[in-house]
Amino acid sequence: MAMYAMLTPTFLLLAVFSLVPFVWAIATSFFDYEVGAEAKFIGLSNYAEYFTDPTLLSSFGNLAFLTAFGLATVMTAPLIIAKLIFSLRSERARYLYRVLFLIPIVVPGVAGLMIWQGMIYGDSGFLNELLRLFGRDDLTRGWLSDPQTVLWAIVFIGFPFAGGINILIYYAGLANISDSVHEAAELDGARGIRKFLSVDVPLVMSQIKLLTILTVIGTVQGFEGMFILTKGGPGFNTMVPGLWMYMNAFSFQRMGYACAIGVILFLLILGLTILNMKYFRSSEDLRAEAA
Amino acid sequence: MKAARRRRELAIHAILIGILILTFLPLAFVLNSSFRTNSEMNHSFFGVPKAAVQAAEITGQKLQGKSRFEVANSSEKGAGVESLDFGDAIRKVGSQLVQGYAYAWEVLRPYTLNTIFVCLATVFGVVLVGSVSAYVFSQCRFPGKGTLFMAVLAFMMIPGVLTLVPSFLWVKQLGLLNSHWVLILPYIAGGQVFAIFLFKSFFDGLPRELFESARMDGAGHLTLYRNLVLPLSKPVIAVVAIVNILGTWNNFLWPFITNSDAKYHVVSSGLYLMGQSTVAANRATMFAAYVLASIPLLILFLYATKPFMAGVTSGAFKA
Amino acid sequence: MFRHSFLAIILILGAWALWPRGDVEAGAGPTSISNGKPRKYTIRFAPGIYMPGRRPMDLGQPIQGLAKVAAEFEKLYPDTRIEFTEAPVGQREYLVTQLAAEQAPEILNVNVEDVWQDVQKGWYIALDDYLNRPNPFIEKGKPGSKAWWDQFKYQAISRGKAAPDAKMYCLTYDMVETGIFYNKDIFRRLGLTIPKEWPEFMAMQDKIKRAGLIPLIVDKSAIADWGMDLIFDQMYNSILPGIDLVQDPIREAYMEGYLDWDEISFLNSKGFFTRNDPRFVETFRILKSWRPYWEKNMDADGTKLFVTQQGAMWWNGSWAVNRLIRDPDVHFDWGVFYLPAIPKSANRFADGHDQVVIGGSGTQFEVTNSAIDDTHDARTSIKLQRTIAFLQFMCVPERVDAVVNEILAFLPNVVGAEPKPELRIFHEFLQRKYTTTKWLYTFDLRFNEIFRRMLDLYLEGGISEGEFMDWMEKNVRTASDTVVRRKGLDLSKFEPKWRSLAPLRASMSDLPTAAEAVD
Repeated sequence: MAMYAMLTPTFLLLAVFSLVPFVWAIATSFFDYEVGAEAKFIGLSNYAEYFTDPTLLSSFGNLAFLTAFGLATVMTAPLIIAKLIFSLRSERARYLYRVLFLIPIVVPGVAGLMIWQGMIYGDSGFLNELLRLFGRDDLTRGWLSDPQTVLWAIVFIGFPFAGGINILIYYAGLANISDSVHEAAELDGARGIRKFLSVDVPLVMSQIKLLTILTVIGTVQGFEGMFILTKGGPGFNTMVPGLWMYMNAFSFQRMGYACAIGVILFLLILGLTILNMKYFRSSEDLRAEAA
Repeated sequence: MKAARRRRELAIHAILIGILILTFLPLAFVLNSSFRTNSEMNHSFFGVPKAAVQAAEITGQKLQGKSRFEVANSSEKGAGVESLDFGDAIRKVGSQLVQGYAYAWEVLRPYTLNTIFVCLATVFGVVLVGSVSAYVFSQCRFPGKGTLFMAVLAFMMIPGVLTLVPSFLWVKQLGLLNSHWVLILPYIAGGQVFAIFLFKSFFDGLPRELFESARMDGAGHLTLYRNLVLPLSKPVIAVVAIVNILGTWNNFLWPFITNSDAKYHVVSSGLYLMGQSTVAANRATMFAAYVLASIPLLILFLYATKPFMAGVTSGAFKA
Repeated sequence: MFRHSFLAIILILGAWALWPRGDVEAGAGPTSISNGKPRKYTIRFAPGIYMPGRRPMDLGQPIQGLAKVAAEFEKLYPDTRIEFTEAPVGQREYLVTQLAAEQAPEILNVNVEDVWQDVQKGWYIALDDYLNRPNPFIEKGKPGSKAWWDQFKYQAISRGKAAPDAKMYCLTYDMVETGIFYNKDIFRRLGLTIPKEWPEFMAMQDKIKRAGLIPLIVDKSAIADWGMDLIFDQMYNSILPGIDLVQDPIREAYMEGYLDWDEISFLNSKGFFTRNDPRFVETFRILKSWRPYWEKNMDADGTKLFVTQQGAMWWNGSWAVNRLIRDPDVHFDWGVFYLPAIPKSANRFADGHDQVVIGGSGTQFEVTNSAIDDTHDARTSIKLQRTIAFLQFMCVPERVDAVVNEILAFLPNVVGAEPKPELRIFHEFLQRKYTTTKWLYTFDLRFNEIFRRMLDLYLEGGISEGEFMDWMEKNVRTASDTVVRRKGLDLSKFEPKWRSLAPLRASMSDLPTAAEAVD
């Protein structure tokens, strides 16, 4: 009984501030509703309409691309950097690098986006100025408004994907690998890249798994980036479901429709996370299998 | 062998420093631009702040023995030029240099205390509620445990935009609008979820024998929690605290719509407001505001880096 | 040791910097200007560009006009406090939540078309009763002493801002208009003069382009907004008598044949604004043929391109004057002209009438439901009385002059307050006829979103004309349906008038096939 009592604050807070609004949103998804006006029950019409929505295809395509790219970067850059730091001999240097790579997290995310938008991709940003320097004016463009470049421009924001906590998370995984494992591997003749792939990577699988889940959740829910950078344009080339939901809720006054999109996104995230939990093997699982 | 090893170390340093430069370049640009006016940026996107150049020139002329200095009243066309002595000239140029900061500070200053209070209260709540629940999920056996834990985690998957309006209408009914509580309570409710996850991973990793031997000595849950779990959890508490402070510090939409009374505004909503208002045209002011808003976090980091890194390295971040 | 003393220093400095300061000088405070004493009524006012203490466009001294007006008003009404605030009114999530919770600032500055979406919800207070009565702050015999309405200089445009329910929810405090800013030095060098007709305008842009300069700098959103409306008007003016169905008793006198969205919805059901409507297709073809003369990257900062003399002309609003006059790096002469008409000889749909204006009301103030939160009844609310009184107080000509003319951006809309000489040219533009319709902003917001995006994509070569017309057709249709649904509109009520105009239409050519078939 004491156990349940100790859990009360958690569940009370969740019930009041998260569950009630969520249930309200699910209920609203069955109504034609705009804030401040009467609601009209329309059953599953909102859901049905979304499947013929003009933005459906492009926004889910973009979402898949963004998630895939996000996963690719979160699994590579920080891990490689962590490995590089880890392989330094001086403890002082390792500490210093970890601190330095951590500092950028104090910069507000919005600021980061605006910096890239103006400084790198702007008309007189870094990329265009560089091209002009080499006399290639013809190649300059609005990187975030040209249909051909916009998606790539967006995913490369944050390059080299180094700032923040991810490096530390991988570093923790690497630090947990005991020296005996390394020695054993070296006796087996594993070196360099092969050793990295066969020894290090499996041992940070737990970290990769967590970051995968967090990246998927963040990407599917996220829309602020697109909102600030392109508003989903040009056309609907960078539209994502979250942004379309936001626009329907607030710009188009279609709260019910927006809620239906939101519920679909929730189910998508839930499904992906369960798949991830089930089929993605953590390092503990790998170790258990090996034994 | 030794030389090869040395070369390898140097190569790694070179790569890491290269990546660091790429990472910090945009930030350096923000810092530089926060001292430049719009019209300066229009004419050359890259460049040193004009006012700084002028200050250097004045100092140079002073060293050559000049005593009067011509300084424009402002950077605008038709603004008069004044002839000043060295101190006044430097002061004037200096105030032109930090103009963006002056305006940004004016906007953000009244909100800073609110933000600090909200952050501290939220962190306290999240750590307390989160660690207690995580302790129960990690160390106790009771029916429905797995389901309840998954139910808690499922709350991470609800898109924030979906519940924005319902949450707003709901806290309005609860009568919480325009107070600190309208921020603190939902932040604790939302922030505790990831905290429970982290705390639980951490507690799961603690040696079982510790708990068993303590329980053999007849310690109850409260004693265990207070005397064993909390002292051991310092690093992971640091992680939870910092992750939460970052989230709270950067969240702008919720504080903005729930607190229309400027008395309760926080820094992030101040930033958001600046970005939306006519001031947004003043890029220097915006950049200065970003720099200012980052300073408290930077100070926090100066002191929390050690436990934070220990916490992340403690192995709580895995699934 | 060092770490601790450093921390102590930081804490002391922080405490000093953040200590609440009570003695904020009037006018210097960022969010609220008040004089201490608790007052019964607080009127929060989001004045947009006139926000005291700010430097609009990063230029000039911090402005103080409104702060002084508020201080005077507070002296007169010791029970009322005016609190200035900024509000991100462009963000719908802000507006919707604040108005639904009755906690928006009492006076907002929003484009009134945004307000029209929400008037049926009681979120805004209609101002007609007050506008028809005297402004008590005006001396007898002066305009405004009989009816507040009489104070406004641009009657046509101001009254044209009435909502579709015929009520007036906004006060137009100043005027704004667009124009083509041109670099006189470049014009002289290339031997160019102000164009009188569209073909000359195009030829001129071609010449500038061949000289290696950007002929016309224009904002992407300005094309969907101003460009669309102007070309649309040039194309449809000749058939307007045959399709203008509603003569709004209040607005028509001023707007001369304005097509509102109800009419657009009906006309759409008759085949207009589809690919079968040659005029509609032609409108976009003209825009497309104009595209090569704008800057290559339309995300570029137009101000920068014009100020650095990379472009010869710049289509912008009167607010650009503030920038051009004060920018230290503008080393050239500049002037402003208005766009030339498309003559009959150049386009078979055009009739050569002068280009209309599309700007009009600049800063528009609305009173929100928060203003009646003392009694929840507009008839008894003292707070509302104070709010209205403040707006009337602001409309005294000397005060309008002090507020509006502090920035070189807009023209005062009150008789007795003259525009700055630098802006007088826009006063001349404003004498022109008002646009036939405003496609962006007045209609459904989903329509705006799709229209703006797809026009942009079409002009940038991302989609073909066929694909674009496809999007537009669906878009206009969906938006019409939405209007009919949201307003419970019965389109058949237009039928009699439509039929009575049939003889007139018989003499017109190139109407959509469906429209001719019905006749």
